[in-house]
Amino acid sequence: MEDVLFWLVVAVALAFDFVNGFHDAANSIATVVATRVLKPFQAVVWAATFNFIAFAVFGTKVAATIATGVVDPDVLTIGVVFAGLIGAIAWNVLTAWLGLPSSSSHALVGGMVGAAVAKAGWDSVIKEGLRKIGVFIVYSPLIGLALAFSLFVIVSWIVHRARQPRRVNRTFRVLQLGSAAAFSLGHGANDAQKTMGVILALLIATGRATEHAEVPLWVVLSAHASIALGTLLGGWRIVRTMGTRLTHLQPMGGVCAESSAASVLFFVSAKGIPVSTTHTITGAIVGVGSARRLSAVRWGVARRVVWAWVLTIPGAAAVAALTYWIISLVS
Amino acid sequence: MDRRALFFFGAALLCLALVPLTPDTYRYVGVVMLIWLTVLGLLSHLDYRSRLR
Repeated sequence: MEDVLFWLVVAVALAFDFVNGFHDAANSIATVVATRVLKPFQAVVWAATFNFIAFAVFGTKVAATIATGVVDPDVLTIGVVFAGLIGAIAWNVLTAWLGLPSSSSHALVGGMVGAAVAKAGWDSVIKEGLRKIGVFIVYSPLIGLALAFSLFVIVSWIVHRARQPRRVNRTFRVLQLGSAAAFSLGHGANDAQKTMGVILALLIATGRATEHAEVPLWVVLSAHASIALGTLLGGWRIVRTMGTRLTHLQPMGGVCAESSAASVLFFVSAKGIPVSTTHTITGAIVGVGSARRLSAVRWGVARRVVWAWVLTIPGAAAVAALTYWIISLVS
Repeated sequence: MDRRALFFFGAALLCLALVPLTPDTYRYVGVVMLIWLTVLGLLSHLDYRSRLR
């Protein structure tokens, strides 16, 4: 019975990862499609490839943070991990239905915390780990914003006297391939590792791995394959893209926003900090938009990010706690 | 005052509030962001003033 439950929760975790790729594909391909550098299908294949190969570039520190850095590994059980995951998924569905802002990454952390607290009280939460994640929820979009703004101003200053603006435009269209690839790499690294973290927590909970164990290769490959598959199947369907929703981006702005957001994701992934990749690219796009003029930014979308900061972790934690209590009553 | 400068100063204030909450290992991130956003705010304000002249 435990084996069945184990594989069921693994399947749910991979489905969560798939939906993440499906939903977030637009973040990395919006600008290359909008500027017609690549056709939509070519763009999603490009993004999915880099989502997948991220496993070879980055380690698994983010996965370790999710598995052992948020809640005490001693309280982990299949029930806790399952409730955490269901809490995150239910919160995402609920907020999508109500039209409220959310973040899958924050929801996952909130879910794990809520389920652990429901089982063993507040002492089961690793405060230092939660504090690290909490502050970087705010820092990551702000770093993306400041970096993208600065980069855009510097690049504009360099190219504004170019005698052949068409040639400059063409150069940035090509550079967009690199920046989109870099962002997809960062997205794959940070978001796929969150699912790896959930599966690692499950392995620890069932005694299949120790607290300090490395993430098994099958977990790494399946998590990256799920997110890449989600990107591949989801990207082309998403018409309303991040690039046009927040501010209208030109190739140069797209390169600055994507490369800035990618730099943030590389940094946090190397340090083992899970962040919202959507919020990071949103911050970077706002940075580029505000370098042109503040009114170029559609502040309604940016405001939703701030609301997601406030709502997601406590909301997902509450749903996960409720789920855990229901599971406990049933079993 | 320039709205963009106010925006950067607001973001810098947010970082100032976060610095004491940040774990010691990553406190430098908050400090760097505080300085960076303040400088961007100042430059934005100077840019705004130069455009008014």
